[in-house]
Amino acid sequence: MKKLLFFPIALLSLVFTSCSEEPANMECDIESVSIHFDNPELFFDVVDDTLKSVATSADLTYDTDSIGFKVKTKAVVGSYGLTIATTPGATVYFVEADGSVSPYRNGTPVDFSDEKIQVFRIVSEDGVWHRDYKICVVHDAVSNLGHRIYNFSFDGNYSLYDPNKTIDDKGNYFVWQEVEENLVNDIFGSESWKCGNPGFKLSKSSAKALEYPSVPCFGEGPDGTDCIKLETMDTGAFGKMVNMRIASGSLFTGYFDVANALKDARKATQFGVAFKHKPVKFSVWLKCEMGAKFQDKAGKAVEGVVDEPDAYVVVYRNQDENGNRVLLDGNDVLSSKYIVGMARLPHYYDYEEVDGRTVRHDKLSDHGIHGVTNEWQKFEMDVEYTEELDDDLLANNGYNIIIGFSSSWQGAYFQGAVGSKLWIDNIEIECEK
Amino acid sequence: MKSLKYILAAVLLLGAATVNAQEDSWTKYGPTNTQTNAGFIVRAGYTFGGTAPMPVPAEIRSINEFSPKGGFNIGLDCYKMLSKRWGISAGWHFFYEGFHTSADVKGYKMELVQEGNVMAGYFTGCDVTNTDAWGMNIPVLATFRISPRWNVSLGPYFTTYFKTSFDGEVYEGKNGQGYLRVDDPTGQKVIIDRTNPATYDFKDNMRRWNAGLELQFDWKAMKHMNVFAQLDWGLANTFEPDFKAVAFKMYPIYATVGLAYRY
Repeated sequence: MKKLLFFPIALLSLVFTSCSEEPANMECDIESVSIHFDNPELFFDVVDDTLKSVATSADLTYDTDSIGFKVKTKAVVGSYGLTIATTPGATVYFVEADGSVSPYRNGTPVDFSDEKIQVFRIVSEDGVWHRDYKICVVHDAVSNLGHRIYNFSFDGNYSLYDPNKTIDDKGNYFVWQEVEENLVNDIFGSESWKCGNPGFKLSKSSAKALEYPSVPCFGEGPDGTDCIKLETMDTGAFGKMVNMRIASGSLFTGYFDVANALKDARKATQFGVAFKHKPVKFSVWLKCEMGAKFQDKAGKAVEGVVDEPDAYVVVYRNQDENGNRVLLDGNDVLSSKYIVGMARLPHYYDYEEVDGRTVRHDKLSDHGIHGVTNEWQKFEMDVEYTEELDDDLLANNGYNIIIGFSSSWQGAYFQGAVGSKLWIDNIEIECEK
Repeated sequence: MKSLKYILAAVLLLGAATVNAQEDSWTKYGPTNTQTNAGFIVRAGYTFGGTAPMPVPAEIRSINEFSPKGGFNIGLDCYKMLSKRWGISAGWHFFYEGFHTSADVKGYKMELVQEGNVMAGYFTGCDVTNTDAWGMNIPVLATFRISPRWNVSLGPYFTTYFKTSFDGEVYEGKNGQGYLRVDDPTGQKVIIDRTNPATYDFKDNMRRWNAGLELQFDWKAMKHMNVFAQLDWGLANTFEPDFKAVAFKMYPIYATVGLAYRY
């Protein structure tokens, strides 16, 4: 009888314990790369910058297969060894200019002079997959100090993320890349404007380029040229699976870490780029149309609350007292103690004393005071400083600038109204030094 | 004096029964109706088991947890013995079965389709699954009497489900890794962990039926009472054929132990 009872149990346990040998890794990522200089302080403002953790590096470009070490303007660059850490089991190869491939041993000097881009191929443990990474050392651009105004007109500076696909293909979206020399040198480097489009793609693979939260509007600006439209959208069934029911349209300077977008969306939205000037005035043309139903994170309608758009310029110190990097994210972009200057569309706030510092909390209301309407208007805001900028720090990339927009000001908390739209054009950032 | 008489009677009866059992047990534990050699069996039992890929693929690295939910199976069989040892039976069983499991997977290929949107790629991490099924089984079995008190039966069965569920969530595994590589292993890495796990619900992608083999052992404890154990091994994939979220086929494999009353 006992045998009889144990028969099915034994059979089932056999089924569930018969796991076979572990399959070889299929991934072939560079997880981190460090570059060896004898005197790193001659090359970097922050010595930590010799190491780049690829998964979280804020300096990586849109396609994460490019890794750039940004060194001081006057640094003389030669050959340096790299230490490349990959997915366990993967092999690193150096790809010569003629396409031939040889195994790369960590520490072997590689010629990075004249901003040469060197290619490394990582082959997965199972030998089936590979990725080619471009690694280079680039010089920080020279910036001419003095009074200047930066203009962003969004005319024709957009392109499709995947140029091999058309505007009507699913899964393609727009990106904005500034090409004007001053903008590239002073704010954007090799990077472009960031927005939540790559995250939206994860939830809405069927969306075409013009069905994303951040899209260009052709000829619809106040001057009849192109502008940009941000729209808060429903993320559908997949968004619901991860409790992120809406995606607000966004546009900002910084870095969007798609890898961590589901895990912690606010932390994944990292704001700011180093800037050597002091912005004093922020002006922009805006119009908006707010969605009818404001919903909370659970997707429930909140009565008596209207959605509001947001637009701001923030200046903050990008190093703490100990010289460590500070990077604001969706949690503290407008409340961090490292913020020294800000201009923002007006909203209602609550104030709270925390450790002797007044912390400002956004306050939902049934009528916004931002003043943006469904007609184009020019908004001008002074950047208000809580402390004077340190000239040395400013010259050595010690401050970051954030230029940020959102079609739903609480979008980072997945609150807002589906259908809220914010049109943006002709941004001007006036700098005093 | 009176009690002695009863004791004597009891001893005599017992002796008679023992003699009977030795000489006549094929009859005693056989069909209750010796005219037709047919009858009914009412069964009730505890069901446990799970839905599993067969064989377990290499992508499943470890089963962290496996706990059957307390299921049951009640039903009626009618049988007819065609000879001393051989017979047939057909049944009508109602059941509830389910399980909870948690498994670590590596490079598990999946494709989810929701409202026309696709999320496909390779998942590494922990997958927690809960499944439930209410349904009805119709087994048609051949029975063989191994001995007077032991029967073994084997045959096909057909299942229809009234209600099924298959849901769960994914997050990081024991090694702290939980992520999807979108489309292929070089694609965008999307980290999924306990701070914001991804939940799934595949109840709309489950087959409404299954079919498989039933193996059943009966031990006749008393003239009318059996103790039984049976194994229902589903041979059809539990998911609809075009469903790709789970890259491998999974089969319901459930065992029941219980008591049966023979009429």
